[in-house]
Amino acid sequence: MAATFASKCSRVGRSLWGGLGNNLSGLLSASHETACNHFLSQQRTFIQMRTVLKVVDNSGAKKVMCIQALKGKKGARLGDTIIASVKEAYPNGKVKKGKVVYGVVVRAAMQRGRCDGSEVKFDDNAVVLVDKQGQPIGTRVFGPVPHELRQKKHVKILSLAGHIA
Amino acid sequence: MALSTSRTLLRSFASLSPFARCSNSTSYGDSLWSSEPRAIFKGGSYFLAQRKLSSTSVLSLGSIEGAFPSLLQEWKLGFPSLSRALYCSTADFKKNELLELQEVEKVLSDVRADNVKVIPVQKHCAWADFMVIATGRSTWHVKNIAQALIYKVKQKQKGAQRLMLPSVEGQEGGKWIVIDSGKVVVHALDEKARDYYSLESLWTTGTSEKEPIQDLEKALVKIRRKNNSKKQAKKSA
Repeated sequence: MAATFASKCSRVGRSLWGGLGNNLSGLLSASHETACNHFLSQQRTFIQMRTVLKVVDNSGAKKVMCIQALKGKKGARLGDTIIASVKEAYPNGKVKKGKVVYGVVVRAAMQRGRCDGSEVKFDDNAVVLVDKQGQPIGTRVFGPVPHELRQKKHVKILSLAGHIA
Repeated sequence: MALSTSRTLLRSFASLSPFARCSNSTSYGDSLWSSEPRAIFKGGSYFLAQRKLSSTSVLSLGSIEGAFPSLLQEWKLGFPSLSRALYCSTADFKKNELLELQEVEKVLSDVRADNVKVIPVQKHCAWADFMVIATGRSTWHVKNIAQALIYKVKQKQKGAQRLMLPSVEGQEGGKWIVIDSGKVVVHALDEKARDYYSLESLWTTGTSEKEPIQDLEKALVKIRRKNNSKKQAKKSA
């Protein structure tokens, strides 16, 4: 009898606390969730005019600003070619500051869908400088490069790269 | 999105299957899976197949049908398969590459390309097995090497329903032409480009060695600085 009373009390107590707890945890989880969602699902977009990209080859440039995305109305994505202006360069390099160059985007923060349904995205926007014919100006490419370059006919950059994502 | 397109493809293939089975299945199946360099990914081949469906009326399906259910199973498992897994799963039927290593070597010796080097890169790269580097004496010679390889591929595929050509890059420049035929990648450069890019050093030493070791050694050596001052040294009496 005492046991049953105790159990009843505990059940009630539990339900009360459960209710309160539910409300609190619900509120907390909801706010946390929305904050998390907003933080994690930041929408990344295309590489367009005025986008500053990092240069990942040894051509001499450090930072480059996109002035035109050659294909695509909205902008360039992973594997596309852009026209860019060199904003920052190493002192002795093949390209100097202010030069207008072509570049191939090798890493993009915007996700790119792969044919098997997966998506690939990187932490930064990076570019490899090329000339008009598609020959890379530098001789080595640093950092990971995705497989998409093979489909886009940039096998030269793939062959110069060390790590392929 | 990829799932739905593949399911519609499957349905269309199934409808065509009864009369497609009687046609010969070797050439189309091989061209679809193994030799197209763009179709490394599972879904890439589906998209190719979609385009080809519209253009051809007779499809040879023997090899494809065998591969589809296995890929569907993989999707049901929920694991996207890598390119290597695809090759492993479709290894049961014969793989005719666009260009074999021996054929490439023969063509290069016919064209009289200099300094032909074959580098097995199976360990470093997942996307190619052999890198062949050849030098041409002039831009015309380099273009000729590329033309000869493509001609060889065309000859090999004589009589097939559709021609599967390897992708060629750099044809108009003539300085560095890459011919990508799946497993074997052929680089035709001229002498200057070969020295400039030094591709052998990239693939023979290893993947992650970017800085040459000699610079490191030089950096650790203490060098007495040159005294270029015009001031005469004080002689202590």
